[in-house]
Amino acid sequence: MGKAIAVAAGAYEHEGRRGAAADYDVGLMLAFQRGDELSFQELVERNHARVIGLIYRFIGDAADAEDLAQEVFLRIYRARPTYKPTAKFSTWMFRITANVSLNALRSRANRRDDVSIDQMGDTGDGPRGIPDGDCSMPDDHLHQSELQGKVQEAIHALPEKQQIAVVLNKYEGMSYADIARTIGCSTMAVKSLLARARDNLKDRLLLYIRTGRGRQRIA
Amino acid sequence: MSSPVCHWVRSVLAAYLDGELKASTADAVRRHLARCESCRRRARELEEAWELLDEVKAVPVRPGFTERMMARIVEEKELQALEARLRPNRILRQVAATVLGLAAGLVLGLAIYGWTGHLREPSSPVEREVSRHMTFLEDAELLDEIAVIEAIDRLTGAGERASGV
Repeated sequence: MGKAIAVAAGAYEHEGRRGAAADYDVGLMLAFQRGDELSFQELVERNHARVIGLIYRFIGDAADAEDLAQEVFLRIYRARPTYKPTAKFSTWMFRITANVSLNALRSRANRRDDVSIDQMGDTGDGPRGIPDGDCSMPDDHLHQSELQGKVQEAIHALPEKQQIAVVLNKYEGMSYADIARTIGCSTMAVKSLLARARDNLKDRLLLYIRTGRGRQRIA
Repeated sequence: MSSPVCHWVRSVLAAYLDGELKASTADAVRRHLARCESCRRRARELEEAWELLDEVKAVPVRPGFTERMMARIVEEKELQALEARLRPNRILRQVAATVLGLAAGLVLGLAIYGWTGHLREPSSPVEREVSRHMTFLEDAELLDEIAVIEAIDRLTGAGERASGV
């Protein structure tokens, strides 16, 4: 099985496509396209944790994240007849993941519009399952879950494309070029997106920034 | 007040911190940061805000996701098989619906044509005779008046002859 997949990936490499060349997941997808269902199962096994993690960082709900991850792999399954390895498998998979997550966020936003602020109660518009902190000034004893909630609120307050760029760069370690391929724009556009996103995050989280934390890379 | 150089440096600070700038550009940013406390402070704040994102922890994944996913794939395959079986019937139904729609349109068109034709064209001999004299009948009131006037004229004429006028 492994040899067949390696052969498939190697055959793809001979087509001279950089990036996707020798991509093991591309080999699995091509083998699945040729009828090998076990290859699809291996794709799920290898990638589901990353997909669920990414979705969770978008929407902040673990149960929904798993449901939406199933939707991602269902779309991959249905793409079998038309799949073409023009990029790394992860780039394509994350594009589907971002689309599914954004659709879910938009559905939530539409439903929330029907709920008055009075009805939101203690959860406000923070992520479900993560309690919002109160509105007082933060102090050194800010609880972990409250800080996580504040950070997740700050991410969710970003415009959609900035959110995607932040999540892919921060939590997946994707380069600007890979992010550009994933969301379908130029590297310059990603540079601009992340510049604005990080400024926005800084403004929102300024109160919570603890001096002295973090890398001291600045000369 | 920040200079144009500060403005430019701040626009590329995120890319600089991410190591995404060309070497020469990164050097220029580094030299500026060494001189400019304001930009240095901004870079520090950007870094620290970015590090706060580590507070959002990865969600633990429930065991058995792959098994659950493959069970869903079995349902998907059954759905696809069902759709494949229904597809020919669906096409037949669409063709039948189109033919019925056209036939109904034709019947309705003919019915409307027949009804309006019935109004335009007299069909029985009486109707044909009436339509021939329609103008006469439309002036029936006038003709009644003329008949009365003629009658009066005859009476007055008869009277004049009797009086020798």
